[in-house]
Amino acid sequence: METTSQTVSPAARVIGDEHGPEAGDGRRFDTDVVFRWLVTAAGIGVLLLLGAIILVMVVGGMKAMTAFGPAFLFTSVWNPVTQHFGALAPVFGTIVTSLIGLILAVPLAFGASFWLTQMAPARVSAGVGMAVQLLAAVPSIIFGMWGFFVIVPLMAHYVQPTARHWFGHVPGLGALVQGAPFGTGLLTGGLILAVMVMPFITAVMCDVFASIPPVLKESGFGLGATRWEVMRNVILPWSRSAVVGSVVLGMGRAMGETMAVTFVIGNSNRIGWSLFAPGNTIASLIALEFPESPAGSLKLSSLMALGAILMVLSFLALAASRILLGMSKKGDGR
Amino acid sequence: MIGQASQETKVAEKPAIAVRNLDFYYGDNKALRNITMDFQRRKVTGMIGPSGCGKSTLLRVLNRMYDLYPGQRATGEVLFAGRNVIGSGVDINRLRARVGMVFQKPTPFPMSIYDNIAFGVKLHEKLSRSEMDARVEDVLRRVALWGEVKDRLKASATALSGGQQQRLCIARTIATRPEVVLLDEPTSALDPVSTARIEELLDELKKEFTIAIVTHNMQQAARCADQVAFFYLGELVEMDSTDRMFTAPKETRTQDYITGRFG
Repeated sequence: METTSQTVSPAARVIGDEHGPEAGDGRRFDTDVVFRWLVTAAGIGVLLLLGAIILVMVVGGMKAMTAFGPAFLFTSVWNPVTQHFGALAPVFGTIVTSLIGLILAVPLAFGASFWLTQMAPARVSAGVGMAVQLLAAVPSIIFGMWGFFVIVPLMAHYVQPTARHWFGHVPGLGALVQGAPFGTGLLTGGLILAVMVMPFITAVMCDVFASIPPVLKESGFGLGATRWEVMRNVILPWSRSAVVGSVVLGMGRAMGETMAVTFVIGNSNRIGWSLFAPGNTIASLIALEFPESPAGSLKLSSLMALGAILMVLSFLALAASRILLGMSKKGDGR
Repeated sequence: MIGQASQETKVAEKPAIAVRNLDFYYGDNKALRNITMDFQRRKVTGMIGPSGCGKSTLLRVLNRMYDLYPGQRATGEVLFAGRNVIGSGVDINRLRARVGMVFQKPTPFPMSIYDNIAFGVKLHEKLSRSEMDARVEDVLRRVALWGEVKDRLKASATALSGGQQQRLCIARTIATRPEVVLLDEPTSALDPVSTARIEELLDELKKEFTIAIVTHNMQQAARCADQVAFFYLGELVEMDSTDRMFTAPKETRTQDYITGRFG
């Protein structure tokens, strides 16, 4: 308090001289203190909130963790009758569907944002850009229903039989397309996730590519580079960290996505090579099983432990992107 | 200087670039009106005039940089190497390698010093590792940067000082072996010492390249240019040898501008 009043006083005195009584200074000073406390509280509040969420997950999941030990992470059993629970299948499903989603979404988002910012006429670009934003605003339950009524039948009737026909007997690839054509499964989940995260990644990439100084771009063109060469060698290196950031943002959303995936994943606690086999993700398993888990039960505790694992996975993705960025920056000498 | 100027008129060498009846439009806005002028081979042509007079626009026509932006178009003729480069069927990427450009602010690419130079070269030529090394060293020597950076060629170009960055950008431009080098106020973001070094460099470069330089600095135009063109409101008001432009301009508008009465 004292140090603050000392630093503020010279300016306050000047204003006091101009505008009259000293009382005015006091009020200005009070507002400043209140403002400082408010913003400090907001900042600390965010930290506390994060800590509280982690705490609840860990404490809630403690029962399951002690009951099963590290084996919880490595078993794929989920049997409420025998009270045996393991996290492996939903963790596997979460990672695989998110990766499929990203593998499909990132090239699409990159292409779309490249076209929108570098090539499309301004009017078209504005229109398509708006459409992308709208797509990002569609609630996930809508994607779930759309996936269930449109994508699942398409997968069951066309994609899966065709894929099996062509690749079913190829060594290696064959394992990826085995199983009955239900239409649901890991690939369908990944597909829906791709549609959902693509607009997010596109929107961020568009902002990034649009913010590059025109003169830097023109320097590339000035050397006789084509649009692709400028993109590859000037724009991408310049915006690398933001681009990776946008991908991680999409990854985070894909891993946490619940409703849309629950509709199309098949909800079966299995692990296998086949992309067409039904699977499970952490978020959809929690959503499905939560209503049937009595308070204090081992099952509820297992779900909480799964929640903690999901958070750890998100942190790991974030950390990995930071490390990757750090490495590439060092290589560049920046 | 006067002797040089009179010699200049005798030289029958064809101009490097001949601009004929050039009009330029930003959408509906006419930015250049009926420009006709020559850029003499291996000479420095200075372009002066108040902001918005069209001098930078003209520069951007010469390498078709305006092509990047829809709504910008040019009519007339810009003759370079026997072709009208603003016509159709021109290989624009090849043109930009032959008519290089340096910008107002230094624009090093976010890569190493070496790669900044190799990037442009690789676009147009297949060189072996040793040939590329030689090319990089050669251009860095010519912009007097070699001594300062030879031990850190792999370091990021963004860590260089502003003046060094601009010399790197010039090196990068001449590395593709252009015939013409366009400079758009190349020293406006630099301190006086760096500016002087760039100006010295121009004297060296004009032995090999045709140079067009846009500048707001009258002294710079007087020091560096062999001929000077004065633009005003999209028109070429007057163009002559540097000596005559600064001692005896024909137009009063030129006189007013170079003496600082407006601009």
